[in-house]
Amino acid sequence: MIYILEDAINGVLMGSIYGLTALGLTLIFGVLKVINFAHGSLLMVGMYAAYWAIILTGVHPYVALIVVAPVMYLFGYYLQDIVIKPIFKAEKDVREPITVIIVTTGVWYILDNLTLLIFGPTYRNIQDNPLRGKMLEIGEMFISVPKLWGFVTAVITAAAIFWFLQKTRMGRAIRATSLDREAASLMGINQFKVYNVAFGIGTATAGIAAVTLVPFYNIFPTVGVLFDIKGFIIVVLGGLGSIGGAILGGIIIGLIESIAPQFMTATWTEAIVYGLFLVVLFVKPSGLFGVKYDW
Amino acid sequence: MTRKNINTSAFILLGFVAFGLPLLLRSPTYLHIIILLYLYAYLTTSWNLVGGFAGVLPLGHSAFIGIGAYASTILSLQYGISPWIGMIVGGILAAIVGILIGFPTFKMRGAYFALATIAFGEGIRVMVENIDNLGPLNINGPRGLQIPPTNIGFGNYMFASKEPYYYIILVMLVGVLALTYFISRSKLGYYLNAGGEEPEAAMSLGVNVAQAKLIAMAMSSFLTALAGTFYAQFTLYIHPKSVMSLDFSFEIAFIALIGGRGSIAGPVLGALLLRPVSDFSRIYFGSTLPGLHLIIFGTVLILVMIFQPRGLQEPLSKFYNTLLDRISGQTPQREVKHEYS
Amino acid sequence: MNILEINNLVKDFGGLRAVDTLSLSIEEGEILGMIGPNGAGKSTAFNCIAGVYAPTKGDVYFTGKKINGVRPWNLCKNGLARTFQIVKPFRSKSVLYNVMVGSFVTTDKTAVAEEKALNVLKILSFENKKDERAGNLTIAELKRLEVARALATEPKLLLFDEVMAGLRPAEVDEMVQIIKNLRDQGITIFVIEHIMRAIMALSDRIVVIHFGKKIAEGSPQEVASDENVIKAYLGDEYVVS
Repeated sequence: MIYILEDAINGVLMGSIYGLTALGLTLIFGVLKVINFAHGSLLMVGMYAAYWAIILTGVHPYVALIVVAPVMYLFGYYLQDIVIKPIFKAEKDVREPITVIIVTTGVWYILDNLTLLIFGPTYRNIQDNPLRGKMLEIGEMFISVPKLWGFVTAVITAAAIFWFLQKTRMGRAIRATSLDREAASLMGINQFKVYNVAFGIGTATAGIAAVTLVPFYNIFPTVGVLFDIKGFIIVVLGGLGSIGGAILGGIIIGLIESIAPQFMTATWTEAIVYGLFLVVLFVKPSGLFGVKYDW
Repeated sequence: MTRKNINTSAFILLGFVAFGLPLLLRSPTYLHIIILLYLYAYLTTSWNLVGGFAGVLPLGHSAFIGIGAYASTILSLQYGISPWIGMIVGGILAAIVGILIGFPTFKMRGAYFALATIAFGEGIRVMVENIDNLGPLNINGPRGLQIPPTNIGFGNYMFASKEPYYYIILVMLVGVLALTYFISRSKLGYYLNAGGEEPEAAMSLGVNVAQAKLIAMAMSSFLTALAGTFYAQFTLYIHPKSVMSLDFSFEIAFIALIGGRGSIAGPVLGALLLRPVSDFSRIYFGSTLPGLHLIIFGTVLILVMIFQPRGLQEPLSKFYNTLLDRISGQTPQREVKHEYS
Repeated sequence: MNILEINNLVKDFGGLRAVDTLSLSIEEGEILGMIGPNGAGKSTAFNCIAGVYAPTKGDVYFTGKKINGVRPWNLCKNGLARTFQIVKPFRSKSVLYNVMVGSFVTTDKTAVAEEKALNVLKILSFENKKDERAGNLTIAELKRLEVARALATEPKLLLFDEVMAGLRPAEVDEMVQIIKNLRDQGITIFVIEHIMRAIMALSDRIVVIHFGKKIAEGSPQEVASDENVIKAYLGDEYVVS
């Protein structure tokens, strides 16, 4: 019994990190009404950035946030500005341009394979860091310390974005645009500037998620694909566009992955996750929590 | 010569080249590449029935390839049933699955539909990877199935050389193109296009949009499964990661999109232009520059979507028409064909 | 015989009652107009008839059959066609293609559908634009395309939702003439319109609704001099008593 509790706690912690990786996906969907297929690749880029920052300077992994988050923000900002904006301009009257989905997939292909070209297929990890392998002992339970850090980071990040959207001028502009982009631009909001900022923030959260992952996770060129698919599932479970839903959706996935192997072959958990996803998609496409666009 | 004459002669010439190619091309390696090219052209054209005409973005079509490949292979390995029959069984199975998946998803908005098809495709792959035996059927999990090349002969869909495979896939390709041509000029084609572009207006004009999409989905998944059987018999080895991978689904969709969704020539054109790029970069740079072909692929995809969102067929068909005008020496009478525009 | 009959129709959106116990009927071969200030519930009533919304309460009968909740495509097959206030053309297709989608209701053959569509275009003197991409049309032409597509389904009853909004006076006159010609061919017509001049010239009978309720009904002259109608449009102080 204690093992299941231990698994559940670690599952919640890991799940919150999954949620953090999906946060940007849901934010970008909420505003641009577009699924960013390159999100996993952006996470991967963030992981490499964090990896090199930590390896080269030897600082505590979380110090890398100072560099990674702003760099990723700029990366996302200009990615939207240069690559995605032209398509929105070309397809003004389309509500959910499929073309944008396709372009983000092109970005995914390029980023993943460029990374492969530059860094090779090697699995990298940061052996020498103060968080790796650390366990917190509570009674007979062992709780992963790097995942605990990730959990705290995920909660803080989600809260910060929520605050930003509610309280700041830019945040309100983002919310207005997400509700009705035409009305918002009539009110003098620059739609494309809002898109750039939203994409930047979404990408920055991928950077933050990357930093929480590198202390204990392998880094390789296609690592993003794992989180891409997981991210899609999480945001649909939580309700596309919902910030809190993304974290909760992530936790559900984390729990399934940690507890289900107690009862079946580990590889089956993946099938369960897909099954759950399809059921939610068919039965309640607005997500499990009914908190569609909770900002 | 009039335009029509030139058109007809170009068509006949193309037919001769296609059917005579194995006689000119003695290298099995090149023939192999061209067979795969036709296979892709066939797959993208089948995909186009849903992804092009019905105006949605299915990203899980490799599941249907897998269903076709596994159905015919299991039937022939375990029950000695000819793959030709297994091919039809697989096709029907895929059509049923296609309807089951289409029924709830076609009501969804664009993004949800794309995600649902991804999850469905990946879900099927994961299941197959986890199942060794499904009742009496031996699926063999992640190791896949090997087809021993013992019973060579037409009835067994197995040949010693590549030429027969070449002609089979050529006939399949011509068949699916003819079908697409026929559909695009039929009531169904009009209904699919209308429903894909403005569903509300289409409904008010008597179009049962969901029904039209389901028919298209059933046809598309049936045809895709047939290619699965071909792939299994051609490579003699299938496993979930080869026939059911997400990459495969994506590649089909993107070749069709680059070529031009919703047009007849577009998907074939896409395969014709992109397959050689990926084959040759894999052959020549595979070891030194891994993933180069996917970088090219991604770049082309982005550029086409930005500058030619209706695919490469549009500028190319314009170019072809100008060329025709030049040769025929006629004043260009730009008659807009309503089927295309 | 009444081709369309609405009995005590109610449509609620959440707490809002958009249409309130509305009853009306249209005789075969008639042109019925419906007017009302903005937000009076005209379009909602219209959409309940056209199968877009299921009525909350009340019944809609078309050619004697109850059509509550019948889906739009089935209504169309039974002879009830409509146009959209905000035009919804198949933009990437030609005018002929657009109209052919409609004419496929009565045939499965492409050649027949094309012939029928060309015939409709001729009736509307729109043939010269048949190969034009719908996306390139002017607003007046788009409105005409809406009419052409609906007409191609060979309807018994045509619902026009503000088919003249946004048109210039000369274009309005042309459209009025088109609609009158359609009636002369035996099609019953139900028009929602904002342009008073047009609806007065067009309708045999007019129904006025306000806050979802019918406040007046009668010939154009009767309605124009009705106290309630003047009140609804101009406010109480304009009523000369």
